[in-house]
Amino acid sequence: MDYGIEDKEQETLVRLRGRLTFNDHAKLRALIREMLQNRAKRQVLDLSTLEFVDSAGIGMLLIAREEMANADKQLVLRSAAGQVKRVLTVAQLNKIVTIED
Amino acid sequence: MSFYGRAPRLEAGPEPQEPDPSGNGSHPGNGLSDVGEKIPLSGELLATWMGYADVQRRTLEAIQNELTRTSSTVEGATLDLSDRFRELAEKAMQQSERVEQIVSMAGSVSIDGERVPMDQLVTGMQQMIADMITNIVTLSRHAMSMVYLLDDVQKDVSELEKSIGDIDAINRQTNFLALNATIEASRAGEAGRTFAVVAQEVRHLSRSTGALADRMRSKVTAVVKGVRNGHDILRQIADTDMSPQMLAKERVDKTMESLVDQTNHFQAVLETAATVSSDMSSTISHMVTGMQFQDLTKQRLEAINDSLAIMAEGLNELENRTRVEMPASLGPQVPQEWLDELLGRFKLSEMRQRFVRRLLLEGTALDEHGALDVDAGQDDSSGGDIELF
Repeated sequence: MDYGIEDKEQETLVRLRGRLTFNDHAKLRALIREMLQNRAKRQVLDLSTLEFVDSAGIGMLLIAREEMANADKQLVLRSAAGQVKRVLTVAQLNKIVTIED
Repeated sequence: MSFYGRAPRLEAGPEPQEPDPSGNGSHPGNGLSDVGEKIPLSGELLATWMGYADVQRRTLEAIQNELTRTSSTVEGATLDLSDRFRELAEKAMQQSERVEQIVSMAGSVSIDGERVPMDQLVTGMQQMIADMITNIVTLSRHAMSMVYLLDDVQKDVSELEKSIGDIDAINRQTNFLALNATIEASRAGEAGRTFAVVAQEVRHLSRSTGALADRMRSKVTAVVKGVRNGHDILRQIADTDMSPQMLAKERVDKTMESLVDQTNHFQAVLETAATVSSDMSSTISHMVTGMQFQDLTKQRLEAINDSLAIMAEGLNELENRTRVEMPASLGPQVPQEWLDELLGRFKLSEMRQRFVRRLLLEGTALDEHGALDVDAGQDDSSGGDIELF
């Protein structure tokens, strides 16, 4: 997995690409730190180009949400598709995290 | 008093006023076609009439027999049919009850002796799977928190190792300084004696510190090893992807949905089947009631038979009276052509044979009407065979 950060006026847009698996845990931690340092309150993860997420990836997304909440920020998961969308749906993550199409 | 005496014109031969237009109408034994024509009232006419009367009486008797036979055939068949229909109605009713039993069971399953409706079961199972997935998600999240925690612990422990190394370096330095102090103290002689004791103590202290650092290193090494092992195991746990198991919910949901649909469909079809069976039973009951037409038919046939009996009796009486009045020399004329036509109409061989037996074998006519079975006049249970000539 790799990512690109784009600072916008109201939000920070992070585009995730490839596969988010356990092997990316260090990278995701670094990303969380970067997001915490951003001033925007809304931190949006754009998942449209993310092809795959495993259960560890879901766990990491939840940690990210928690970290954002602790820093009084909002995590938004946007434009999930394919396997990622299906996993988010069956995990009922919409009950915990804001999910946008 | 003779019949001839009452009608002297009988002996006068053919009617002179109304001659036979065809010229052959008076031919004796000409059959039905001649009946409508004028026949001279004569002995021949009487003989012809007697022949007809004989055959007609026998025909009436034969018809009476046929009617009785037909009535009892219909009665037997009707009773048999009624019984079978009743049986059929009973079976249709049983079928309906069985199907209703299935219908009542179809929408639910038995779990620990308790009937659970199918939709409730499906909802329950879906909820169970949803809970399972929630647990997987929670576990994954906790596992990743632990991974991050142990990442940090490993970093801290490495720093600890480094710190122990620092202590060692400081200790070596201290030991070296103490050694130098001891040397300097011995050079100073008596004046440095006290200082030498202090330097010696410092060296002891340094050795103790070194020993402590060694013990710490060995413990820290054990901790590092344990943490690394734990970290590895945790990585293995966290690296076990459970997303396929989570996605299995999709398949299970679809299967459950299909199961419910199918059950509902079965139930609907079975309900229709139960209704149809019940309808069938009621229709068959109506049919059994409808079979009562046979009673009416039987009564009518009996009435007709009674009329025919009276007619035959009248004919017989008239025949007897005529025979008494007729000259002994005259015998009845057999209406051959009429007979031929009558018998030609019977297409059922056994019925024809009964007629032939009664009309010909018991009568005076000759056997000119096809194969005669000597048993034909008797009852024959297989009388339904139809034979076309």
